[in-house]
Amino acid sequence: MTDPRNPDSASQAIEMDPVEYTLRKRLPRKLPKRRNDVYVNMKTDFRAQLARCQKLLEGGAHREICVHGLGLAINRAINIALQLQASSQGALQLAANTSTVELVDDLEPEDPDEAGEPMTRTRNNSAIHIKVFTEFPTPAKG
Amino acid sequence: MGQEGFKKVSRTEEDSPCPFPGLASGVLEMRVKEGSKIRNLMGFAMARVGGGLRQVVFTGSGRAVTKTITCAEIMKRKVGCLHQLTKLQYKVMKEVWGSTEGGGSGMTVHRTVPSISILLSKDPLDPKEPGYQPPQILSISACSELLTANSRHQRSV
Repeated sequence: MTDPRNPDSASQAIEMDPVEYTLRKRLPRKLPKRRNDVYVNMKTDFRAQLARCQKLLEGGAHREICVHGLGLAINRAINIALQLQASSQGALQLAANTSTVELVDDLEPEDPDEAGEPMTRTRNNSAIHIKVFTEFPTPAKG
Repeated sequence: MGQEGFKKVSRTEEDSPCPFPGLASGVLEMRVKEGSKIRNLMGFAMARVGGGLRQVVFTGSGRAVTKTITCAEIMKRKVGCLHQLTKLQYKVMKEVWGSTEGGGSGMTVHRTVPSISILLSKDPLDPKEPGYQPPQILSISACSELLTANSRHQRSV
């Protein structure tokens, strides 16, 4: 890792030594949440999340719901949407959109006596937004 | 699933209908797999798009879905002014399991995995189609250049 021949090289400032920093991932930015928005995660039981979506649709209050998934949860979001569609006997349609979400990581120096300063860095992750709606036309929205 | 004493012999994708009916035949289809390197996929696709290709489809299933979306997102950011159509469907995988304890008995399992297909097009697509996303305007110069290219293309058709 450290090169004894040139201790004050640029690598010191730019590259992160994994031993001296802890990577702390911040939570993704909070997104707007309407009553018919469902944010899918990987911690909650799959069937519970599916049941929640079914309840929203069958309750009659919503003609459409929006299922959102980020990163690993994209797969689960798609699965939920396809399950809803399959169990509706053709009454439901899907409209999927994709986007990129910017995530922030904090790099905290492990040892405060060292010269390291706390840093942040951003990275991107993919997300999916699936609108699940009933066949007959709904009022168009942006 | 009692899978003791059985070994997976083969795994094949069953043909599923093309999610984009009426698509031109010369479209590049990028099949994203779990182990595909984004660098390799994008290197190839960007070269083709730079060479004048107007439409690209990214497809992937199972654990490759996230990677597929990432590829499409990168391309949208790099190329700009791309119309997008996203379709979701289940893909049926046919798995053949053979018995390991001699005997000729085997079994066939049909497994469904979620899959995604993303069509990126320099030409306008039907905005009423479910799953349509209009291009995000990144820079005006890139867009105007594309618009002139579009009109030129339409005249030649």
